[in-house]
Amino acid sequence: MKEFTLIELGKRLGQLLLSLFVLLVVTFVIGRILPTDPVGAIVGELADPAAYEAMRARLGLDLPVYQQFWLYLTSLLHGDLGTAILTGNPVLHDLAQAFPATLELATLAVILSTLVGVPLGMTAAFFRDTWIDKFTRVVSLVGHSIPVFWFGIVGLVIFYAGLEWVGSPGRVDVYLEGLVEPRTGLLLVDSLLAGDTEVFWNAVHHIILPACILAYSAMAYITRMTRSFTLEQLNQDYVTAARAKGASTMRIVTGHLLPNIAVQLITVLAISYGGLLEGAVVTEIVFSWPGIGQYMTNALMTGDMNAILAGTLIIGLIFMLLNFLSDLAYLVFDPRTREVTA
Amino acid sequence: MKPFCSPLLVGAALGLSLGSATAVVAETPNDQLIIGTSLAQVLSLDPQQGTEVKTQEILANTYDRLVFSDQTDGYKIKPQLAESWTVDDKGITFKLRDATFTSGNPVTAKDVVFSIVRLMKLDQSASTNYKTAGYTADNIESLVSAVDDKTFRIELTDKVIPEALLYRLAMGVSSVVDSVEVEKHVKNGDYGNEWLRTTAAGSGPYTLRRWTPNDIVLLEANKDYRGGAPAIRRIVMRHVPESQAARLMLERGDIDIANALTAADVKTFETKAGFVIDQVKTGGYYVLAMNAGREALAKPEVREAIAYGINYKGIADTILGSYGRWRNVPVPEDWAGAIPNPDWSFQPEKAKKLLADAGYPNGLSLTLKTISQTPRVDMATAIQASLAEIGITVTIQQGNGADIVAAHRARDFDLLLPQTGSFMPTALGSLDNFASNPNNAKEANNAGNFVWRSAWDIPDLNALREQANRERDDAKRLDLVRQIQEKFIALKPAVLPMFERFEPIVVSGRVKGYSGHPWSLTRVEAVSKTDAP
Repeated sequence: MKEFTLIELGKRLGQLLLSLFVLLVVTFVIGRILPTDPVGAIVGELADPAAYEAMRARLGLDLPVYQQFWLYLTSLLHGDLGTAILTGNPVLHDLAQAFPATLELATLAVILSTLVGVPLGMTAAFFRDTWIDKFTRVVSLVGHSIPVFWFGIVGLVIFYAGLEWVGSPGRVDVYLEGLVEPRTGLLLVDSLLAGDTEVFWNAVHHIILPACILAYSAMAYITRMTRSFTLEQLNQDYVTAARAKGASTMRIVTGHLLPNIAVQLITVLAISYGGLLEGAVVTEIVFSWPGIGQYMTNALMTGDMNAILAGTLIIGLIFMLLNFLSDLAYLVFDPRTREVTA
Repeated sequence: MKPFCSPLLVGAALGLSLGSATAVVAETPNDQLIIGTSLAQVLSLDPQQGTEVKTQEILANTYDRLVFSDQTDGYKIKPQLAESWTVDDKGITFKLRDATFTSGNPVTAKDVVFSIVRLMKLDQSASTNYKTAGYTADNIESLVSAVDDKTFRIELTDKVIPEALLYRLAMGVSSVVDSVEVEKHVKNGDYGNEWLRTTAAGSGPYTLRRWTPNDIVLLEANKDYRGGAPAIRRIVMRHVPESQAARLMLERGDIDIANALTAADVKTFETKAGFVIDQVKTGGYYVLAMNAGREALAKPEVREAIAYGINYKGIADTILGSYGRWRNVPVPEDWAGAIPNPDWSFQPEKAKKLLADAGYPNGLSLTLKTISQTPRVDMATAIQASLAEIGITVTIQQGNGADIVAAHRARDFDLLLPQTGSFMPTALGSLDNFASNPNNAKEANNAGNFVWRSAWDIPDLNALREQANRERDDAKRLDLVRQIQEKFIALKPAVLPMFERFEPIVVSGRVKGYSGHPWSLTRVEAVSKTDAP
């Protein structure tokens, strides 16, 4: 059985690599079909044609497309994702700078949305069709359908400008910028490592509002899915049996229900997390958050293909890895999967 | 099991508990100037490369130029690194004052020569204005020289007068770099570009401490600055791309200056005490470019019909606000030599008659390309609506900056909404994008030129402008400038100026002495801050 799991693992890995390659090809082709002009962005609007052509050649954009792709692929296999045309830094360096900001925000958001969304979904299922269920439905629908942009601005107006409970847009107050050595890039972690509680609490003030807003929008999906998973289980005989044996609701939930919906929930949470890690573009812009969403948006606006390709690749990789991990979770947590595959 | 909670409420509760633990409200310190801006286009801090406006403010403070244009005193040219200068028939000789770079190296005439030669040899769009004045990568070394350590000389060409050359020397691209330091970092003949792109090697009142793209720029006071260290110890430019967020931060006192607000957000400060709106006149324009290479638009009557088919007043009042002022003449209203506005305004009947006379009694269809940004998209929509009333059906095509500029450069448009700038605060500076087109042939591929892009052939106008550029007598030159404007209007321009372009900056009342510069070369050395009220 152990060997089989290894073969399964290898297969999944192979699929992952193939998907990555397809992703790369598609992004590259779309990028070259789009009539963007990265050269213009660099040399400036008023540049004369000679300067323009020189820069085009320097970027290798005068070569045929297949040659450009081959060059890109070979350097990629050497671990070189190219230089971002706009910042002039290696793309990997740029992404490494931007990613921790997004990771910090997304992780906090997914934790918050899980802590609230899962109990909320279960409650809704237990009290199906009562006012509690309806209320939950409205709360999650609102979170799902109202644009994050609007929530961001309104949140700032109320909690930052009005009540003065949270910090300004940005990761930390300006006068505390650059005081903590970036070891992980996660400001909350770095400030604790440095023992600087002032920066830590300040960073908490700044992250809490965008994290809550992201969490609220992600929560809708988590709540709805938890509710339907729970409903499905509540109709099962084992729940009735447990009830008949006199088990308390709490005991039924923690002892029977949760383990049974755990695997499905993990997939839902992984997808939500992946979605958040992609860079919550709008949230990052409203909150001046220097994350991957903002970086990619800027790259797109200026047609910076190296940055776009590398960013897409990394995001794709993260998504696939999360999927891969949640698949593995199935193998580990769910005895049925093991029996079926065996 | 009470489901009365959502992350927002949890966050609010948490915020409340934290709020009592530490003070959230922190007024910006008096020795720091915090600017909320958009750093999205700051791509290079190499003064001989970066021309974007927000970049200029960084360069203005980290580097010195020989001279500067004083926006608080009628844009007069005043000495910066130069102590004095003398103009003769052939050129200008500058005497340099004693100054040192932040590296400790003295500033010498050799550094000035190095910087100007570097500008031309790097050959990027930064050198455009020197090229139009007759300086090239090939001739520059014979036209600039270090007479001795403290004496720099530049020769005039037959295409430039001393005044126009002085304004060029005051531009950000003419910043004097530390040649000793830059030479140490030259790689593959790049003139140290790769190194200087992300650092600073100047003699200005501030040094660059940190630049994180799309996040933050930190400038630290230069303690050894020749005029003494400035009062503001630290300048922080923070990337706040969302205008409403910047507005709230300014209201709360978390930033001192906001310079990337939308017209609507600027308007909210008009009635608020404790803030000053500084409407910086850039000397540039919002323009309607028409492609005279298209059959219909080649006809002056059609172009005039369009000039009569736009509701300028409506756009200026409701869309542009503090960002612009209606003006169809390519020299700003209050500059020397400007002529009054022509009769163009929204007159549908007149426009329809002109169209009928030109052979389009049933109207025509055109596309209008624009960058998908405010206020340009809103302008495009307004133009579409008013042109519909005169029988011209307009289809709007939006794109990102790179797409639209590429289409403009390739003459691939009917109508397009670009904007111009003025490299010097004189009529000839603002006319540069409107009245110059030495060769209209497609093969000339003069894609940096707005008139060429519109395929608008104007040999007489071009000749007049060149004559004015050579004319050293002020009165005669102003007379030529007037003639150019009159001729321009009479020709029914394919590059139609619509609105003078302003850059509104909202400044907290705590900040004293901050005055926006038309090219964003705003120096902070004399700025100070008072306590929060």
